[in-house]
Amino acid sequence: MAGINEYIILACILFGLGVIGFLTRRNALILFMSVELMLNSINLMLVTFSASRADMGGQVMVLFIFAVAAAEVAVGLAILICLFKHMKSVDINKFDLLKW
Amino acid sequence: MNEINLSFDFYHLWEVCGGQLILIVAGLLLMIIDMLLLDKDAETRGKYIGWLTVFIFVATLGHMVYRQWDIHDIVFMGVFSADKFSVFISIVMVFSGFLAALMSMGYLRNNALMKGEYYILLIYAVAGAIGLVQSVDLLMMFITLEVMSLAVYALAAFIKESPFSQEGALKYFLLGSFGSAFFLFGVALIYGLTGSVNITSIALAISGGLYQSLPLLVGFAMILVGFFFKMAMVPFHMWTPDVYEGAPSVVTGFMATAVKAAAFGVCIKVLYVSFGPILANSGQPDFASTVSLSALAPYWKPVVWWLALLSMFFGNLIAVSQTNIKRMLAYSSIAHAGYMSLGILAANGDGRMGVLFYLFAYTLMNIGAFGVVYIIDGKERTAQNLEDYRGLGYKYPALGFLMGLFLVAMAGLPPTAGFVAKFYVFYAAIKEGYFLLAALGILTSVIGAYYYLRVIYMMYMKEEIKEVVRGPVAAPTVIALVITALGVLYLGILPEKLANIANVAQQGLSVIF
Repeated sequence: MAGINEYIILACILFGLGVIGFLTRRNALILFMSVELMLNSINLMLVTFSASRADMGGQVMVLFIFAVAAAEVAVGLAILICLFKHMKSVDINKFDLLKW
Repeated sequence: MNEINLSFDFYHLWEVCGGQLILIVAGLLLMIIDMLLLDKDAETRGKYIGWLTVFIFVATLGHMVYRQWDIHDIVFMGVFSADKFSVFISIVMVFSGFLAALMSMGYLRNNALMKGEYYILLIYAVAGAIGLVQSVDLLMMFITLEVMSLAVYALAAFIKESPFSQEGALKYFLLGSFGSAFFLFGVALIYGLTGSVNITSIALAISGGLYQSLPLLVGFAMILVGFFFKMAMVPFHMWTPDVYEGAPSVVTGFMATAVKAAAFGVCIKVLYVSFGPILANSGQPDFASTVSLSALAPYWKPVVWWLALLSMFFGNLIAVSQTNIKRMLAYSSIAHAGYMSLGILAANGDGRMGVLFYLFAYTLMNIGAFGVVYIIDGKERTAQNLEDYRGLGYKYPALGFLMGLFLVAMAGLPPTAGFVAKFYVFYAAIKEGYFLLAALGILTSVIGAYYYLRVIYMMYMKEEIKEVVRGPVAAPTVIALVITALGVLYLGILPEKLANIANVAQQGLSVIF
């Protein structure tokens, strides 16, 4: 059975993948997914800590984070749809009306 | 303060978190009222909801000034605290919401955006911001941070027809959620290490010797990154100019003041409680001797030192080359974040008092300036370039005078609030021995004076080349502009009163923690 370290390392790897995805991909939807991946890696971490400390607090936090993440995506996708109507694209390199 | 009180006294909750409760319940009621008014035309509906919002903000202010101010307590299972420090910042933010609501009535009419949900989002943004500064729990900080941010993302995207507004909002949303993910990662690390998300319990765990552990430092660094994102400090400022330029002008004024105030308030609280004198007051005298404020200060002070310097320099230097006035004010807001962080860096009573005073003064001058910007603009993005301000001082003397006053205040010249505010934070920094940083900061504010005064020069020394017609001025906007202008002058000439209140407020932190 895997110990706490393996889970934490896995969570950190997932978080790192999320960060890399956010910084390198150019599709706004993929950026959303990367942020979701980061949040879910944090959830994994919290559950692991919660189990290892025999403290329910971490698992309760996961539920809160689920709810907040869902609300975040709702607002984000709404903004993206409005922008898509103007730009006909989800490529963030094309969103360059505002610069310098 | 560590034991969690599970008993739930509703009256007590009302006393401590009354401001938030009023706003949350009022927001729900306004949604219903907005529905009930559907048979009226948009203009009337917007007017009703707008004045109701103003009334709600006034009621919240009254509750905070007369009830919450005198209360020192932590409620709701140790999650929210009412101490004078958070209540002072909450008052600043509610005041900012109040001014924004007053100006929004004219702004929304000029741009044909009369919609009730605008005011509801504004109310929830303020409620989230109050929750953020009042919370003593990292999880609650995350939730309230998101409540505030989600409302502000939606407000920034409020002009559906404008791709600029949408683009700015999307950038804000993406970078904002990226920043809060980092914040949450830090929370998870600290939870794993200390078994708690309550900042006072964390402080005790740290003083038990954990402060040397690398994961704890990484966790705190990530939490601070989350705050720096919201404060718009260089190098976490990338979103600021785009969002401030794209968002509706009044929303920009609100964002630059309330969101910044919330982030500064909660950052000072975390730094103070988790790294501060609690270690000496915790009732366990051996901690006080082994770990003091200086134990962790070597880790975060250099970081804040550099961020303050970078923010002041980049903010002011890049603002010089801007041609759009909203974008220029966005870079100036980055620079102001740098000045305020001198108060965080000083980490003494004077520094905290300076930040509180600065936040209040900045709220007045920034919202005032954006109010003038929106009036001259008429419809969003018709007259936002600096060139459009040529000769306006003679064409619209009152607007020219107000804009001049707010810009002089931002440049930090006497006799305005901006000068006094800058004086307090620089004084605090010098008192702690940051001579070099204070000198460089004063140098950057000279650069700042150049681009602020350039606008005044344009308004009074140049001939108009493009016909600029200001939008109609609504009565509520006039009220808001008069309040801000009088406030800027009053605080510039007689700052003692507010300074004393701010000083009492910053001492509130040591009462409760």
